[in-house]
Parts: sequence; structure tokens; C-alpha cells
Amino acid sequence: MIILANGKTNEVAQRTDADGTLWVRLGELPAATGWQMKPQGACLGELCVPLPESKRGEWIADADDWVWLNYSEFADMIGQKYVRDGDVWSLGSVPAARQVGLECGVAPDFEVTDRNGDTLRLSDLRGHKVVLFTWSSW
Amino acid sequence: MAQDSGGPKAVDKWFDRASPTYRCVVDPTHEISSLFGWVNVPSAAWIDEDGQIVRSNEGVYPAETTVGFGLGKVRMGDDSFAEATRDWIERGADSEHVLSSTELAERLKPVDDDKRLAEATFKLALHFEATGDSERALKHFAAAQELAPDNWNYQRQGWTHKGTTYATLQILRRTSDLRKHTDKSFYDPTGLPGENHRRFTEPEWLWTPAVQRLKRLLRR
Repeated sequence: MIILANGKTNEVAQRTDADGTLWVRLGELPAATGWQMKPQGACLGELCVPLPESKRGEWIADADDWVWLNYSEFADMIGQKYVRDGDVWSLGSVPAARQVGLECGVAPDFEVTDRNGDTLRLSDLRGHKVVLFTWSSW
Repeated sequence: MAQDSGGPKAVDKWFDRASPTYRCVVDPTHEISSLFGWVNVPSAAWIDEDGQIVRSNEGVYPAETTVGFGLGKVRMGDDSFAEATRDWIERGADSEHVLSSTELAERLKPVDDDKRLAEATFKLALHFEATGDSERALKHFAAAQELAPDNWNYQRQGWTHKGTTYATLQILRRTSDLRKHTDKSFYDPTGLPGENHRRFTEPEWLWTPAVQRLKRLLRR
């Protein structure tokens, strides 16, 4: 199964219910979605979302010797849109994560590889003025 | 940031021709536009020393640019953004072109459910395009375009899947429709002094010197 999120393509263990629910192994959650389970809940960077106590037993389950999160239920709760075609799932942006930064005008951080093969992280350019410019061949 | 699902193969010749001295990145999955909420190219943000966005615009060409097609041409952009950028680099927060927090909030406004679903769908289309599944790519490009009809990135990148000629004809047709039937522009106004060619809908025909000479002869 493939998960597309945050510009990355990740192949993860397959577990999809008959009703189309997406389950993700907790160990694969950070690489595949950016979220990480912590004592306070699911965290994406500094943003943490507690799981509802009433749902915890349903959303986190043991199967095949692994612990899994019912990701589609979680995504529905946080308003993250997703779409599936066959064994490929595509996750949209997380509304709260995007808005927390943009509401106060903080440039969203990203990490890319430049044409010389060097890593370019926007936050590494703090202390400099940055002009970010997109173009295309079309 | 070259935003192009064709990757380096599609954009390297432009980079090579420009020989830029600044950092260059290829962004085949449009991540930067997703993060900044841009819906067209070229787009740009000014980010200050503290990591704060102080300006964000779509349709900011570094200079007036002319694209010829057959016997016609379209002009895009102007010098206003480059001049404003120089002013900001020199004067920082004192530049009159730095946006107020209200103006910025308007540009960085949250996106609705349909647009978020469109984003996920567009990324799915790009995945199938990259893996050679044209049928599924086209299906999801069409779905994303329907969910977010004002997102020109989804439209234009999706059209290139059927070839650059098809994409060029589509953009001329669609922008012509905008000009004739709506008061919308291809690019929102930047508010910069001297901005021009925002509508990108006024093809100038019969402009080649040979045709102009012929027209002059016919007038006699």
C-alpha cells in the first residue's frame, strides 16, 4: 500500500478494512504521514491532538503482531482530506498545521534538494531575506 | 523553484539557459504551492530575516515576457515586481511594498474542504502520471480541476499530460473565455505600481514583421 503525504511517497504495510478504512502501523506513522504518537496524543511537529478517550480503544488496535491506528477516522476528526484509488492513498494538508503558521504569517518550513544535490531547508535561511519564486515550463 | 511534474527533464534546459546564481529546486509535486496556497505560476513570497512572510503574490514575472505562437503573441508581466523586490531588499520593513497583516491574512486565507480534497486528488493524479498510469492520472486531474476550478496549477499541469500543444491551446481558450464572459483576471492584481498584463487574455495577432509589411501593402 502506498501513502502520498507531504510531498513524499511511502510504501507501508497493508491493512484496509472491507469498508475501506485506512489503518497505519504506529511504527510507520511518522514517515508515512508526519504524525507521531506521544503520551499527549498524535503530534505533528509542535501541534498535538489528543485522541478522544471514547475512541481510543477503537482507533488503536493490535493485529498481526503490530499496533495500528485507524488513520481515516483520525483524519476525519482533524479535517484532513484524503482520496484513494486502489492501493494508493493520497492525504491532503492538515488544516490546523497549515493555519497555525499562516495566521501569524510564519513561512511554512520545508526541506527540498536543490539542483546541486544539497539539502535546502527554509528555516536554515533565518537571518537572511528570502525571495521564494515558483515557475514552470508550462 | 521549478514546479513541474516533468521533473528535471522538463525544466533543466531553462535553468541551464538562465545560468542562475541563486539556489534552484525542482518541485514535481507542487509542494511549495500547496504550503503557500498559490494557484498559479509564477508566484513569489518575500520572507524576512525572522521567517515571516511579508508579501505573497501570484503572476509576478521578473520582467515583461512575450510568448509567441504562430502568428500571434501574448504579453505577460511587467517590471513592477522586480523593482519592488529591489526596494524591499534595500529597505526591509520600511518598504512600502511590504503587505499589512490584514492584506497578508487575505492572501493566506484558509482553504475550504473542496480545495483540500482537490489538493489530495491532484497529488494522486501526479503519482499516477509519474508511474505511467495515464488513464488514472487523467481521471484524477479532471476530478481535481472540478473541485478547484480556480486553481490554474491543477488545470495547467493537468493539461500538459496531453502534450504541450494541447496545454497551450487550452490556456488560450480558457483565458479568452475569462476575458469575454467574466470580469476575472488570470492573475489577481498585485497592487504594485505599474503592474500590467494581469488578464493574460489579449493575444496580439499578426505581429510578425512580414505580416505587418503585407498589411501595409494591402492598405495602399
